Amino acid sequence: MRGLRVPRGLPFVLPYLPFLIVFGIAPTIYALDLAFTNATGGWAWFHNFVRTFDDYRFVPAFKHILLYTSVWLAMLVVIVVGLALLLHGRANRVSSTFRFIFYMPGALAGAASVLVWLFMLDPVVSPGRFLLQHVLGATLFAQSIAPGNLPFIFAMIAFWTGAGGWIVVMYGALNTIPHDLEEAARIDGASPIQIALRLKLPLIRKWIAYMVILSFATGTQLFVEPQLVNEASLGLVPDTWSPNQLAYQLAFRYADFNGAAAIAVDLLFIGLVGAFLIVTRTGLFRTDD
Amino acid sequence: MKINRRAFALVALVAAIAASLVSATAGGAARHAGVSGSLTVWVDSVRLPAAKLYAKTHPNVKLHIVTFDGDGNGATTLQAKIQLWNRTGNGWPDVIFSEQVNDPVWMASKPFDYAANLEGGVFPEKIINQIPKPSIAQCTVNGHLVCVQDNLAPEVLYYNKKLMTQFGYQVPTTWQQWAQIGDDVAKNHPGYIIGTVGDSYGHWLYLWADQCPLSTLKSANTVLINASDPHCTRMASLLDPLIANKSVSDVTVFSPDFAKQYGGDADKVLMMPGPAWYALAVFRDTLKLPAGEWTATTPLRWGTEPVVTGQVGGGPWIISKHTKNMAAAVDFVQWNVAGAKLNTKVANYSAIAPGLPSYTPAATAWLNWLGKDPFFASPPGAAIGKAANQIWQGWGLVTYPDQPVWSNSVVTQLVAGKSLSSLLPALGQGLSQAAQAAGYKVVSK
Amino acid sequence: MLRLPALTLRLAILSAFAVFFAVPVLWLILAPTKADSALVTASPLSFGSFHQLSLAWHHLDRFSDHIYRRWIYNSLYYALSATAITLAVSVPAGYGLAFGKFPGRRLLLSLTLVVMIIPAAALVLPIFLELNAMHLLGRSLSVILPFSFFPFGVYLAYIYYATALPPGLLDAARVDGCSEVQTFVRVALPLAKPVVALVFFFSFVADWNNFFLPLTVLADSNQYPIQVGLSDLLSSTPSFNPAQGGGGQTVDIFRPELALATLIAIVPVAIVFLVSQRALVRGLVGGAVKE
Repeated sequence: MRGLRVPRGLPFVLPYLPFLIVFGIAPTIYALDLAFTNATGGWAWFHNFVRTFDDYRFVPAFKHILLYTSVWLAMLVVIVVGLALLLHGRANRVSSTFRFIFYMPGALAGAASVLVWLFMLDPVVSPGRFLLQHVLGATLFAQSIAPGNLPFIFAMIAFWTGAGGWIVVMYGALNTIPHDLEEAARIDGASPIQIALRLKLPLIRKWIAYMVILSFATGTQLFVEPQLVNEASLGLVPDTWSPNQLAYQLAFRYADFNGAAAIAVDLLFIGLVGAFLIVTRTGLFRTDD
Repeated sequence: MKINRRAFALVALVAAIAASLVSATAGGAARHAGVSGSLTVWVDSVRLPAAKLYAKTHPNVKLHIVTFDGDGNGATTLQAKIQLWNRTGNGWPDVIFSEQVNDPVWMASKPFDYAANLEGGVFPEKIINQIPKPSIAQCTVNGHLVCVQDNLAPEVLYYNKKLMTQFGYQVPTTWQQWAQIGDDVAKNHPGYIIGTVGDSYGHWLYLWADQCPLSTLKSANTVLINASDPHCTRMASLLDPLIANKSVSDVTVFSPDFAKQYGGDADKVLMMPGPAWYALAVFRDTLKLPAGEWTATTPLRWGTEPVVTGQVGGGPWIISKHTKNMAAAVDFVQWNVAGAKLNTKVANYSAIAPGLPSYTPAATAWLNWLGKDPFFASPPGAAIGKAANQIWQGWGLVTYPDQPVWSNSVVTQLVAGKSLSSLLPALGQGLSQAAQAAGYKVVSK
Repeated sequence: MLRLPALTLRLAILSAFAVFFAVPVLWLILAPTKADSALVTASPLSFGSFHQLSLAWHHLDRFSDHIYRRWIYNSLYYALSATAITLAVSVPAGYGLAFGKFPGRRLLLSLTLVVMIIPAAALVLPIFLELNAMHLLGRSLSVILPFSFFPFGVYLAYIYYATALPPGLLDAARVDGCSEVQTFVRVALPLAKPVVALVFFFSFVADWNNFFLPLTVLADSNQYPIQVGLSDLLSSTPSFNPAQGGGGQTVDIFRPELALATLIAIVPVAIVFLVSQRALVRGLVGGAVKE
């Protein structure tokens, strides 16, 4: 066994390769191919990109998603990390109770979360009636989901379902910090806030970057939430609110797979640029040293 | 090829006639000898009881029922699935019911190309002849009949007889009289309403009914959209003061807020323009208004102009051009349209025939049955039955859904306090964009 | 000292967020116990009755010939099968990427990261066409196989092994004469418990909640997972879909039924969390580093 000159680690990766190729790389190349060809398979240069960019729904959809993603990422970074730091160092039982409460909504991702929030946002049935009326000034469901509110509402729904999982991850990451490090800082006279910001925060930086990358990716992919709100609001929210929805409409309503692929490639490009920036700016790959 | 098709049509015709004879003589519970084989049908959950009854009464047909979302609310379920089947080259259901009245338009066009042509005796002429003209017109795409509507949804004026008498109002016959009552209600009976524009189909109730050209087909690929036409602006000007004085609501009848404010014991709905299916589904079951107060009258007209009205819904049956069992497919649709809805004595008739049947003899039976419901102060049937022939045919069905455009360019702004008149240009623009995106040429006259 | 106000502030912030996270869940639990009209008239966080609850279940279960049970079963089947494959593939892969020395390792890592970021919807269409070519469309494998590809899981395992498993431990094992496979099985795998929990948890939840892929590749509502089923139910609720005309009232799906459907649909994920939680909260590291 030991004498075999197999490169170390390669056999462990092998089962993963077919999945990566068939469901990751091949479809990506195929999407690129579709984006640069026309319906009959001929090379189309950037025609599909220009065409979809000129679509009257294109710019609004990307604007929506940009605002939504920014709001959501800001909420995630500030609140998730903040709550994880607040939880870390609490008595175990208190902390685990809070973590459980924060996480619970995570079970309601996707369609389930939208269904719940459809009710939460309707001032007539919502337990948050008071807030809707006095903060949003909404007495009707149609006013709660007024176009200007939507990016914030979707960000809030996403935060509500997703934050708990990340809090658990951050909390776990904080637990990897050796205890004596913290102890040493305390003996040196650092306050809990200083310890949190100067010691703990840099040590979980990688996890924060990780959260931001993944959330950025899922953020630009937003689909189910606006889709179901569109259905349930009887069209008050357009069915092309997010770029993904537009791509879906192009593919399935108009059978324009090439246009749909072009939008998908736009999203991919944005995702890659975002990931590149975050990776290079935060040194995510530092584990390689 | 040609000969084959003709022979096939002939066979189908013979089978269909045989089937119709059997169902005509024996009603819903016949043991059919005419059709057999297997049949896959896609229906929404509302149509399920009827489909199951068909399976029970037609043991020779191996019926596979699939329920789906019905393609409601401008969903793309059926577009996506038909593309899937077109790509795999199999799996098409033989018959589909859709909640979207415009679905047959794209189903009969490329690239979907799903709907079978029902002309030339494929579907029995004697049934088609008993369906109101506007309904047949809507199922005619590019000159071919490609669907049969399950139910019709013409708009009429519903009113609360008790309250109208109590307040001393005459039942209006024109939009102007209706608006006048609205003004008076706002002054003397604040809190009561004479209608709502907040529904996702408000434009069908008010703009379609006043012949506003927002979806007028000039040819198969050219649509006339002109929101500044007097037929649109005059209706908007009529409605705006009423919306402002709150005698016309801007909330959908399906919202909990509406039910709370106007429904139940509050009993604050004086009148309401609405489609045939409102009769029980909205007034009795959704708003839970007290029994013995309601009835309907002919649709409102503009001044002395002839009566025309709008429509909300009317789901069609579509048969697949790929079906290998046309005889059974036709039989199934025919039974749903003309057979099952005739017999009002059947145990769960309200589930078998939830809306005004398109087949006139069944419609007559249904309206009689409706009139006997204790919910009504007097039978609303006459007005509803007549309205089915008064739907304005200038509103053509197109491949794209127009409701989302109305909802998102008008309803969201109405609740924010804008006037309908000021929103008409945005509505016209939104519809033009949707039409162009769907490949239509848009003209303004 | 500032100790007490700081503690109070800390608790106040945590509690405020706890309310934000918990109230909608609480509402959801209480909603099916009330009649449709009581949702509007009664206090939002009041309890109705067990009778209403059982009535709601009765209506929901009766919907389209017990199709709700079928949807739950489908979801369990898809998510559990796919997660099992994901675990078997991604834990060794993450280990291999963290400690392997082979050409293309960095490329693989980057590809994994890239694929993780690619919009899932962008790939649904090409995957749809691939599945078509493989004659899998409309079969359960058309959902399970794409679900099984979970680059996030590989990346989690990679990050875990790279940060939490000291290379020294592996070297020690190798010095002791363990083969590569033995090293993995004896050293890395036993330490993998937290990351297995994490991957299981994220994979199961992601599969359970996936909406777009099954919606596109499955042909028949009997094959739908619960998430797609929920949107079906939404379309059967008259208040959310008047397009169905007058018939909606006869289907008996109203807001309480919808709330109950949602509530039952999240039970498996909630259970998975409870099971995974113990492993999760122990931190991302087993005993190895602390010694």
